[in-house]
Amino acid sequence: MRIQDVNLDMKIREKLGKEIIFFDGAMGTELQSRGLQTGEIPETWNILQPEKIKQVHKEYLLAGANVISANTFGVNSFKCRNIDYSVEQLVSAGIRLVKESIVEVREEFISQGEKEENLPDMYTALDIGSLGKLLKPLGEIAFEDAYQAFKEIVIAGDKAGADVILIETVSDSYEIKAAVLAAKENSDLPIVVTMIFDENGKLLTGGDVASVTAMLEGLGVDAIGFNCGLGPEQMMKLLPELTSCCSIPIVINPNAGLPSVVNGKTVFNVEPEEFAQKVKLLVENGASAVGGCCGTTPAHIKELVSVCKDMKPQPITDKNLTVVSSYNHAVYFTRKPLIIGERINPTGKSKFKQALRDHDMEYIYKEGLTQEEKGAHILDVNVGLPEIDEPQLMEEAVTGIQAIIDLPLQIDTSDPIAMERALRCYNGKPMLNSVNGKKESMESVFPIAKKYGAVVVCLCLDESGIPETVEGRLAIAEKIVKTAESYGIPKKNLVMDALVMTISTGKDNALITLEALRRIRYEMGIHTVLGVSNISFGLPERGKVNTTFFTMALQNGLSAGIVNPSSEPMMAAYYSFNALIGEDDQCMEYIEKCGAPSEQPKNAAGGKSSELTLEEAIIKGLTESAYHATMKLLEEGKDSLTIINDKLIPALDVVGKGFEEKKMFLPQLLMSADAAKASFEAIKKVLSESGKKSETKGKIVIATVKGDIHDIGKNIVKTLLENYGFDMIDLGKDVEPEKILKTVQEHNIRLVGLSALMTTTVVNMEETIKLLRENNVNCRVMVGGAVLTQEYADMIGADFYSKDAMGSVRYANELYEAGEI
Amino acid sequence: MVVSMELDISHVNRREIYRYLGYRGQIPDETVCYMIEEVLKELLRVVKPRNLYQSYECKVQNSEIRLWNEAQEGTIVFKSKKLADNLVQCEKVILLAATLGIEADKLLQRYEIMNMAKASVTQACGAACMEAYCNLVQEQIREQQLTDGFYLRPRFSPGYGDLALETQKVIFDCLQCSKRLGLTLTDSLLMYPTKSVTAFIGITKNKQGCHIARCSSCENTGCEFRYED
Repeated sequence: MRIQDVNLDMKIREKLGKEIIFFDGAMGTELQSRGLQTGEIPETWNILQPEKIKQVHKEYLLAGANVISANTFGVNSFKCRNIDYSVEQLVSAGIRLVKESIVEVREEFISQGEKEENLPDMYTALDIGSLGKLLKPLGEIAFEDAYQAFKEIVIAGDKAGADVILIETVSDSYEIKAAVLAAKENSDLPIVVTMIFDENGKLLTGGDVASVTAMLEGLGVDAIGFNCGLGPEQMMKLLPELTSCCSIPIVINPNAGLPSVVNGKTVFNVEPEEFAQKVKLLVENGASAVGGCCGTTPAHIKELVSVCKDMKPQPITDKNLTVVSSYNHAVYFTRKPLIIGERINPTGKSKFKQALRDHDMEYIYKEGLTQEEKGAHILDVNVGLPEIDEPQLMEEAVTGIQAIIDLPLQIDTSDPIAMERALRCYNGKPMLNSVNGKKESMESVFPIAKKYGAVVVCLCLDESGIPETVEGRLAIAEKIVKTAESYGIPKKNLVMDALVMTISTGKDNALITLEALRRIRYEMGIHTVLGVSNISFGLPERGKVNTTFFTMALQNGLSAGIVNPSSEPMMAAYYSFNALIGEDDQCMEYIEKCGAPSEQPKNAAGGKSSELTLEEAIIKGLTESAYHATMKLLEEGKDSLTIINDKLIPALDVVGKGFEEKKMFLPQLLMSADAAKASFEAIKKVLSESGKKSETKGKIVIATVKGDIHDIGKNIVKTLLENYGFDMIDLGKDVEPEKILKTVQEHNIRLVGLSALMTTTVVNMEETIKLLRENNVNCRVMVGGAVLTQEYADMIGADFYSKDAMGSVRYANELYEAGEI
Repeated sequence: MVVSMELDISHVNRREIYRYLGYRGQIPDETVCYMIEEVLKELLRVVKPRNLYQSYECKVQNSEIRLWNEAQEGTIVFKSKKLADNLVQCEKVILLAATLGIEADKLLQRYEIMNMAKASVTQACGAACMEAYCNLVQEQIREQQLTDGFYLRPRFSPGYGDLALETQKVIFDCLQCSKRLGLTLTDSLLMYPTKSVTAFIGITKNKQGCHIARCSSCENTGCEFRYED
């Protein structure tokens, strides 16, 4: 029998969930017992000790395992950098060893008189583990780099003849998504994902069972489940959480119990008999493929097979959930309506538009954080402006927002390229706004939505426009549902927008929308969404009409309102509605959100104090007072430059001096900086209303150097320099020297600030300075950071060493006064 | 084993926080104290501290430290004069890894956008929480060891004295920090989540005073944060 003849008729995809499939057990501990040394990379044994690897595989096959994981768990381009073998070599050798083992074991069975057709199924799994690196923007590698690393493994495994891809012991949903996309786009093999949860059902990066299940089902993997971290008993406690939201086959590979340390040695206490009995419970409760992880041996698997082999899996039902998710939680469309925050959208907002043109990401993040604070459940993200590169900005916005905000996002764009790029980098199961009944729209949106598992907002309009009748809108809804189905998108992944037209142009507009809404929700059984505030377009006091219409829509079956969560009347209507329909237990949420506000201690940060002068407000660090005092001065007719030069800067100087004399401290310095910022906001607002722009002292580039991921120091310096009127170009953290050089050249920059925290990254600071000098740019470099000293700064060729945040301000001001910036 | 222990607000040393914020022996004003308490509450609400440790037999010769145990094949060798000094007369060494988790970094990032003063306070509170958590874990280890008549030496981390940061790689391998704690190591040897600690803890039969490390044992006398004890 030749290797390629085996497994020709493999149908693991069809068998998953229909019969019990057995995975193998631990590999690492088996290799250690065969002499693998600490620090030795286990996968090198695929080449150095192939017989020992095969021995392990064969023991598991003889024990009755159907799926054998190749010894490829730790292979990736990051780990292979320092060893003599390539990813492809290790992966293909690993796969080959499983396939050879299968051939040999089958022959052994046959020689013992077994009939070939009675032999158990034997599959080769390409085993993929974590890269051991955290993804950007929090970590150091880009999503696309992670994808490339996984792609290399997948291509090698597929080429070597794997039957299934097992992505296992992973605990970062973002990394998992990169791995799954790599698997799907570079092979047709079935994909099984098993993740490592803690006892509370959380991934190490914060995700929960429901959020990753939503994401992975959306991405179309073939089976999901748990492995490692826990024993069968603890997994049993988590299983109901999975079965309640999961509509695909479940795979569970537990450890042999929880590890305990005996005499400094990690041991797993659950013996084969007990293990088998406990895993049997998992099968009875919904797992259809089982095996083992750390601490399990061929004896465990053998016992497991003998106990469970005649069992039938529990039938898998479609849970029919409409769900979206962020990296850490899922949001379900249910009877209790949701709030989708509408504020990240430039339409009609000149400040937002300016922020987009200026590439002011912080402005966007603030809008997001505020809406989260105000109670939004999902955030709409729209960054479309004709003059900007929308796909690029959309990707950046989504990546940035999801790094700091916990809410699921609704990607809002009509540009299919922006759509795809946003969905690709999104960490979870996204919502997509929108598709409509036009053939062209459906043809471009549905394939993308299907690929990334998005829940799609469907607008009830088509080539002939927005129908004026309820029936007309329903007909389009029906058409969209049918077309979606042909792309394999089920009804549960659609949310209908019956469309809101202002009542100022048609008296029945609200009624038509409400009736269409009611029928879509209750007759077609599809969840609904509306951009509520359109109803009052062209009317005065729009909030009043909006609030009433919102309540009416909720009563008629609105599942999610796209509204401004900062609007108190809207949110009050929302919380009241929930309490009135019995969706707010003991009215707790209503009481919390709409009851009397709790007392703030006086003088707390950000609190308002009556009638302080601008100087006082800034020195005390009171943002609101600073804002109001500035407004008052402006109203009195003071011009902005006088305010800045005579009041704002002197106040900042008082604080800065106090800081340098160690009479005031960092938090106070920064509170004053925030107050000064508020004052500038007021000035900018008034200036832009009169069509003027505020002047700046010149541009400064600031960055945390390559390799360094700590950027609070840099951000503090940036805040202070902004206060003193400098225009800061913040390149962020972990910045390549080349990028700094490029920015300096492009903007003709005269001063660069570099920050580094560790001795290991100061070398990159030196490298950056060297690169700037080599290219003869006429620019000074100031440096700062925990490990730096004056001597060090001199040694690496910096022009200035700033020992604290104020130092950089003094230096920049000196240069400005000398006319050198 | 991966253990999570309840870190309580009362465990966190406020003086450490003041110190990290640059208050040399002074107490911040009411507003800043209030902000510190608010941030601490929020931080402790969101973080999920975890730790894991493993015990090794230990032999110190000159500036070479050899560790081994039954669970792992082979011997791990470290070279550091300072660590050797720290571990002299130790029969055993515990390798410890602990983290506040990714949530602390997320919170810090949010404040860096919304409120820089709070961000600086969060940074200091995070460091103090990490310290408090390590002390808590160490206390648990101390109790376990005391029953066998062993005492603890102060923690010693990669980067202290002449112990190379490269040591992180070895500790990460031994403890499987990535898989079991979600810790990652950048190419420049920084840990992420940033509020994380790895350390050697020497175990000795010789009775020790307090095992919590003091500034006076550190040779960086010019340190901004140094205080005399």
